[in-house]
Amino acid sequence: MSDHLFYLAMSYAAAAIAVAAEIVGLWLRRARALRGIEEERDLEAQD
Amino acid sequence: MINWFYFASPATFYRLAGWMAPWFFAAAAILAVAGLYVGFAVAPTDAQQGEVYRVIFIHVPASWMSMFIYFVMACYGGVSLTFNTRLAAMMARALAPTGAMFTFVALWTGSFWGRPTWGTYWVWDARITSELVLLFLYFGFIALANAFEDPRRGDRASALLALIGVVNLPIIYFSVLWWNTLHQGSTVSFKGTSMHVAMLWGMLLMALSFWMYSVGASLTRVRAIILERERRTHWARELQFT
Repeated sequence: MSDHLFYLAMSYAAAAIAVAAEIVGLWLRRARALRGIEEERDLEAQD
Repeated sequence: MINWFYFASPATFYRLAGWMAPWFFAAAAILAVAGLYVGFAVAPTDAQQGEVYRVIFIHVPASWMSMFIYFVMACYGGVSLTFNTRLAAMMARALAPTGAMFTFVALWTGSFWGRPTWGTYWVWDARITSELVLLFLYFGFIALANAFEDPRRGDRASALLALIGVVNLPIIYFSVLWWNTLHQGSTVSFKGTSMHVAMLWGMLLMALSFWMYSVGASLTRVRAIILERERRTHWARELQFT
């Protein structure tokens, strides 16, 4: 196992980081979209 | 009979996607735990490759998903071009980053499997090169979709690229048959498999997990896209966010 541990760890770690990065990206995009809605509401309130 | 036009409305689909996405993420997590348990605790060590073969539990499902997501994305692109439906174009956009992520994972894990088994991280083999082309197609799709100020123009241009890029999918799949490649042929096919049953189950559970994750991620992303596009509409401004 120890011979191949590095290759296994690099594979699984990269996959986990890629999925985690995508989930963070999804969260950030939703937060940005919600800010856009809030801005529209503010503009509407000003009118 | 189901009224599909009702669900094609962004306002309706936004709520439906919000209800469905957590279930898909939960299913993905459960299946991943089961798949990793079978892959690491039940499946035996490979007689020739040793422990490093366990990379297949993410490499093969990621490769399958990279091609499947592209196919679904191109179908949505085709529907958006043919019927000029907004939601189909949004779904195509929502799928692309997840497809690109799985293509990257497939290439990366393949590379770290190749080093101890082939003696090299990379080789310009037909299967690997065509998979790299797929990654560039995803990048091209994302770049083209966002290159226009008018998102509908971006939708049309990227949908066209997605449809043209479909030609790469059979090249990836059949590359190991058409050319003399270092990459091995398909171990699993509709005709059967020569794999140990525990190895096969580990791989299938992880493939199902990646599938559920892809649906959950694309539904979550399409909700953000809908909000971005529909932010000036009455229904979007009336939404209550918790």
